[in-house]
Amino acid sequence: MNRLFKVVSLLLALCFVMTAITFAFAEDGVIDADLTCTITLGNWPPDTAADAEKALFEGYKATMAVQYPNVTLVPDYYSYTLSNYVPMAKGHTAPSIFQPPFTDPQLLISQGLVGDVTDALESFGVLEQFSPSYVEMLADENGRIYGLPRDGYVLGMHINIDLFREAGLMTEEGLPMYPKTLQELAEYGKIIKEKTGKAGLVFPASETYGGWLFTNIAWNFGCVGENALEYQDEDGRWVCNFTSDECIAAMEYMRDLRWKYDILNADATTTDWAGAHSILGTGEAAMNFAADDSVDQPTANKGLPVDSFALIPFPAGPEGRYALAGGTCYMFSPDITSDQAIALMAYLKVLGKLPFLDDQIISGMRADYAAKRDRGAPVLPAISAWTDAEYNAAKQAIIDEYCNVDMRLYNDFFDSISQGTITLKSEEPIFAQQLYRELTAVVQRMITREGADVEKALRKAEEAFQEYLDDEINDY
Amino acid sequence: MSNKKSVLSSRAKTMEFAKAWLIMLPSLVLMTFFVWEPLFESVRMSLFKTRNVELISFIGLDNYVSVMKKDDFLQALVNTFSYTFWSLLIGFLLPIVLAVLIGETRRWRGIFRTIAYLPNMLPGLAVVILWSNFFSGGKTGVLNILLSHLNIPPQTYLTRAEWVIPIIILVATWKGAGATALIYMASIAGISPELYEAATIDGANVWRRIIHIMIPAIKKLTGTLLILQIISVFQIMYEPMVLTKGGPDNASLSLMQLMWQYAFGGAMNYGKASAVAVIVTIILLLMTAVYSYFNRKESDWE
Amino acid sequence: MKKTQYTGVIREYDMHSVSVKVGYGFIIFLCILMAVIALFPLVWVILAGFKDLKEFMSSESLLPNSFDPAPFILTWEQLGIAKNYLNSLIAVVGSVICAIIFNGLLGYGLGILKPKGYGIVKKMVMLSLLLPTTISIVPLFMNIQNLNLGNSFVPLWLSYGANAMYVILFVQFFEALPHSIIEAGHIDGASQLQTFFHIVLPLSKPICSVIAIFAINATWSDFLLPYLVLRGASMQTVMVRLFVFSTEQTVNADAMMRSVVFSMIPPIILFFIFQKQLTENAVSVGIKG
Repeated sequence: MNRLFKVVSLLLALCFVMTAITFAFAEDGVIDADLTCTITLGNWPPDTAADAEKALFEGYKATMAVQYPNVTLVPDYYSYTLSNYVPMAKGHTAPSIFQPPFTDPQLLISQGLVGDVTDALESFGVLEQFSPSYVEMLADENGRIYGLPRDGYVLGMHINIDLFREAGLMTEEGLPMYPKTLQELAEYGKIIKEKTGKAGLVFPASETYGGWLFTNIAWNFGCVGENALEYQDEDGRWVCNFTSDECIAAMEYMRDLRWKYDILNADATTTDWAGAHSILGTGEAAMNFAADDSVDQPTANKGLPVDSFALIPFPAGPEGRYALAGGTCYMFSPDITSDQAIALMAYLKVLGKLPFLDDQIISGMRADYAAKRDRGAPVLPAISAWTDAEYNAAKQAIIDEYCNVDMRLYNDFFDSISQGTITLKSEEPIFAQQLYRELTAVVQRMITREGADVEKALRKAEEAFQEYLDDEINDY
Repeated sequence: MSNKKSVLSSRAKTMEFAKAWLIMLPSLVLMTFFVWEPLFESVRMSLFKTRNVELISFIGLDNYVSVMKKDDFLQALVNTFSYTFWSLLIGFLLPIVLAVLIGETRRWRGIFRTIAYLPNMLPGLAVVILWSNFFSGGKTGVLNILLSHLNIPPQTYLTRAEWVIPIIILVATWKGAGATALIYMASIAGISPELYEAATIDGANVWRRIIHIMIPAIKKLTGTLLILQIISVFQIMYEPMVLTKGGPDNASLSLMQLMWQYAFGGAMNYGKASAVAVIVTIILLLMTAVYSYFNRKESDWE
Repeated sequence: MKKTQYTGVIREYDMHSVSVKVGYGFIIFLCILMAVIALFPLVWVILAGFKDLKEFMSSESLLPNSFDPAPFILTWEQLGIAKNYLNSLIAVVGSVICAIIFNGLLGYGLGILKPKGYGIVKKMVMLSLLLPTTISIVPLFMNIQNLNLGNSFVPLWLSYGANAMYVILFVQFFEALPHSIIEAGHIDGASQLQTFFHIVLPLSKPICSVIAIFAINATWSDFLLPYLVLRGASMQTVMVRLFVFSTEQTVNADAMMRSVVFSMIPPIILFFIFQKQLTENAVSVGIKG
């Protein structure tokens, strides 16, 4: 099996190089031989990555070498976190390109820690095809653009079908009877816990994850609009509100998951994102709040066969049905020159991240999906970050070719988005990570202390976060 | 004549003086670059409003006020003292007891000594990752597997507010106690056996010999190691970071970890982070001063 | 080394008493218990390394299903640990040299030469022992970047040349050296630097070996500054790699356990080679590392 894997990936790499070379001879392939610069590429697949993925990136590199012979690509294995990025940007050692989550661009832009690529985008003619919400997210107040969306995600729920089957929660068609509401989630979870002894729900409540997931639950309990967790008042001051009846009800729900229904995994407060995927993937829990972009985690990475895996929409709450939508973007070192900016856009174009379709990008997409399929990760419809309809349709056609899953296990998730039965919502607008940190502490308190006072804990978190808002923005 | 000689020797002395400083110069440059200047810089940063590592404006003690009035500072302060308390309770006496025990063995003493020291050689980060699996909850945690042989149902450990600090201290003690014990052993081994034998003639049994001869002999060392232990446990940071991430509900958040959060945990506020670090430093200096005051005569700290 | 003689408080003649005998048995029992507690986690982590992810997450047994070493070999190859070992070795060698030369020279100045004004420096060195070093990592990192020393082992090596504790240990050792020998060298016309390299250092083998062992161990275990300085994956040391695993969640729990094992092997080997120096010399200097 492993040998086969290596052979396949080698062939893949070979194909890529061949394509690149063919291009070189057929159309000369060179796009700009004068562009001379060096770019360092963050998130290059590390040694630990699958061979197929490594081969893929070697292929990108070969293509770039043909199209831009004088652009030197330096692979960097850098993986972004806010804490490791800042000293690097200040020390002028940030890689030319890296991938932060959508929570951070505005912060990075306001602090002058990222590079401007507006002019480079213009020269590629794609400036207008950003969906407006991304422009807002990745530009400063003057409309200068500092980032490109890599991909988006929508939060839903990962399901381990084996445990549902063991608990007898299957429909006649052999599909899992999954929870449509948060109330059902608690009840089904209880059945699973009783029947299988495994956790109904894995809830990663460490650091910021707990608060991150909790905000979605809170929205579904009605913490939106006038009850929003944070908002700007008439004077433009940022205010947070964790003590609405809705928020208290949502937090009581969290508490009940532990003490009334007892469906959570044992070490929820030290479980992180990867840990949650491991727990679901190895059959220690039946459900996990997670998004469509991380379906390869429990499956390919943690060993759950794709047949035993399903993705369902985020369960509705008493006051609504929202799903958190977010994603990852590409951003650039503050030190990039205009030549480097153009080279970086060219690189992203080769990666197929700009809305361009040519044979090479299509073959790149094919290679990407083939690689996914080969390592046992579900190949799913993508939620596009571009408004270009033609591009999106062509992409979907290719995805369908490589689809390796029973789409009945995923349709409800994607239909809920396309048919609008679920409302997509971005993360809380400001200092989201700090908000998550405060809420995580409350969630931790709820699930570690029986009979903890919900309102008191939320009030304390509210005061702390309000103080943070005052310090960092209102009175700054 | 004598006058000339003294001129010469004073010139030679000046040369010697200059050469001596010249010899130390490279090391002093390194100390400045790696230790003193960065510390000075942190103190300076704590008095400024900062954006990343740029100083925006001088704001006096505002960072301190802002940091200290927050709930999590108080919690971290209490936790840090709690770490110190548990560390003294678990980690202070244990090395002394170990030292006495190992010192008394007639056979395999070298082996016991070697094994006791071994954990101290292991990389701290690896030790913490290892123990996090030891204490994981559910049926598959190592401790729970061991307990299941005693018919005790699985417990959770690192998610219990009241247990996390003692557990983290246990881990730190596992790593450090043996090495400390060896220091005590060396000191105890320096006691002349004749003293014991003389005491025996005076009718002292084993217990009395320990209390009246051994304990007084290691008293001074005990004081030194005590203050060193307090200093090191007061700076505890990566152990809770890896084991509990400061949770649950900040129950294991230490002061240095709070500092880390300010600097690298999303807030990017190095001014406030520096303020926390300076506060920790001041507390440590105060404790050391108190210690030196009570040990004026025999202090190792001058 | 002197032959260790038995120095316990329980003397030969005490062993005639039954209660002392029982007590002695109890002491042996406690020592064995201590040894078990000290060794058990090591044994366990190696056992855990034989499990795959599914078994690691689900098995309720300490023993793995099989003792096939394949997972270790696979992790070693997949993660390319050999490269990290080599990087750690490079870091360690340079650090040890810097630790002995620079701290030794400062210790020589403060402990033997004692030029006018040395007292202030000595106090500053002592004081820096007390201060938390973590906060200064940001300004320190800026310093390193400003000198364009990033992505190089040089700043790591040099950072071990500025270690307050090592300086103090040198000072203490040098102060205890017999002055007559140093004076003798001086009268022979040797310069101060020659005296250091030809007379003081050869006399200082015990302290040098202790500092070397401390520095090896510290460099091997260090991850914070190396993480910031050695950014390229081609330069990562073993502990930086482990730190990256634990923060960036790129490695499964079972491979993590095997990485822990790999990170522990060299210190354990080192320990068994140098255990005599460690348990006798290191201890006799009176402060732990």
